Amino acid sequence: MAKRCRGLRLELILKTENLWKIYGSGKMEVPALQGVNVEVAPGEFVSIMGPSGCGKSTLLHVIGGLAKASRGRVLLDGNDLATMNDAERTSLRRHKVGFVFQKFNLLPTLDARHNITLAQHIHGNGYDPHRFELVTNLLGLGARLNHRPSELSGGEQQRVALARAIISEPKIVLADEPTGNLDTKSSDAVLSLLRHLNRELGQTIVMITHNPEAATYGNRVLHMRDGMVVDSVVH
Amino acid sequence: MISQNVTHRPVRTFVTMIAVALEVTLVIIVIGVTSALLMDSAKRTEGVGADIMVQPPSASVFLGFTGAPMPVAIGTKLQQLQYVQAVAPVLTQLNSVNSLEMVWGIDPASFRAVSGGFVYYSGRALQNADDILVDDVYARAHKARVGEMLHVLGHDFHIAGVVEHGKGARLFVLLSTLQQMSGATDKATVFFVKCDRSDHTLAAMDKVNQLLPNYTVRPMKDYIQMFTASNVPGLAALRTVMIAIAVSIGFLVIFLSMYTTVNERTREIGVLKSLGASKLYVARIILSETALLCVGGFVVGIGLSFLVRVLIRLLFPSLPQALITLEWCVYACLIAVAGGLLGALYPTWMASRKDPVEALAYE
Repeated sequence: MAKRCRGLRLELILKTENLWKIYGSGKMEVPALQGVNVEVAPGEFVSIMGPSGCGKSTLLHVIGGLAKASRGRVLLDGNDLATMNDAERTSLRRHKVGFVFQKFNLLPTLDARHNITLAQHIHGNGYDPHRFELVTNLLGLGARLNHRPSELSGGEQQRVALARAIISEPKIVLADEPTGNLDTKSSDAVLSLLRHLNRELGQTIVMITHNPEAATYGNRVLHMRDGMVVDSVVH
Repeated sequence: MISQNVTHRPVRTFVTMIAVALEVTLVIIVIGVTSALLMDSAKRTEGVGADIMVQPPSASVFLGFTGAPMPVAIGTKLQQLQYVQAVAPVLTQLNSVNSLEMVWGIDPASFRAVSGGFVYYSGRALQNADDILVDDVYARAHKARVGEMLHVLGHDFHIAGVVEHGKGARLFVLLSTLQQMSGATDKATVFFVKCDRSDHTLAAMDKVNQLLPNYTVRPMKDYIQMFTASNVPGLAALRTVMIAIAVSIGFLVIFLSMYTTVNERTREIGVLKSLGASKLYVARIILSETALLCVGGFVVGIGLSFLVRVLIRLLFPSLPQALITLEWCVYACLIAVAGGLLGALYPTWMASRKDPVEALAYE
């Protein structure tokens, strides 16, 4: 599995082959993904756009191992998710995937610090103060670490969620409408941070967005419609 | 994370802990009161000062469960045996008027010979047919005084004296009176035998056994050890039922509490799973929270048990002080934690099996 990106021949971090996801059965079958083929190289920032219900989130869930494909293959860092059981996919998420959600999904009972270190704890490596300091400084969270989500603005909450996603150095960050609940200023800040993470740290990112402007932050934009990738534009 | 989750809903946490505390208190107090009653009864019987107790064949160690099948004349034969210094026949009757008490019918002279006699706080010894002696515990609990009338066994007695507690029953009447009242003329429930020397007890028992084969002959020094819940018909079952009720309370409350917790935190569970938390990790969180609630409830329950013990003493002064032992505190803790964890099993299973995509979409 190899791909030429920016003139370099790189091993792919993510590849889907004829990926199908069908909900329901029989006459009630609803195909959310219909033979999706996607390739993402390490260090890429790929945006996925498309109308509501076109299968963007389903694609993100399947490539992140949260849901299992009905047909086809998902190769994530060389691991075939189709052959993995639930526990193996959970382990893969723990070690190789970082999620960022539209609704932030921070735990309300924990302050920002513990929301971030929770990922390290689940990862099993325990608290790494150097990594923690690097990430929180990078995302400008130093002064807000002792605050609970209810005491943070939307932009701050999303930065905490971003810190949580990258604290364990995942191979890929999957962001599902990360600016969907933010105002323009906070959206720009979060998108700039994503681009910074991508360019400075080489973090691979796949981001779903409705916003064409947000999509331009990626170096490639995939357009989806009716469960299929219909277009790919390189910026 | 566990402690933050528990304190996030303080009212629910408080109610759950109180329920577990009640479970613990129920276990400790039921065991404590029944043990104390048994021990008190045993100590008072032992306090008679006899060396041997003679009862009819197959008689229970509890005097209240035995009728009056032995002729008093047996006492005369026992008195003639080698090593025997004194014999006191006693007829027992259970009084259920106003309160549940054992009434002992005694022959003052022989009872004094065996027990060394009563210590009188006030009044005098039994003389007349309607005289009754009460011990100081009974007198304090019922505010009974010398000279007053006391309605016992359907009969009005005159309180002749108040004596120090610890010599058998709390109420004593003349043996002849009780025989007449219960239609057991010349009969006795038990003979207390005093040996000339305490190291002659076994030898004296041999003599009694030769004289009265098949009769129940017990050395008093082992008497307390025979007073166990398993020797009281129904008591072990009562304890089991009460503990089962207590466990059921804890089980149901923990079940409800953790069930609502898991439902309420569905999205959080989805987040944990998206971060790569395994089923075991999720289960461990729920079970750890349950264990924390149970241990917290246990600590409160221990405090509550001591409070209830004080209240029982205030409300029912004639009852002995409930025995709160370390052994049963440990058992109560184990029962509370085990019941709680059992109650949390289904919610835990439910949490660990949640689909991450559905959980993340939960509103």
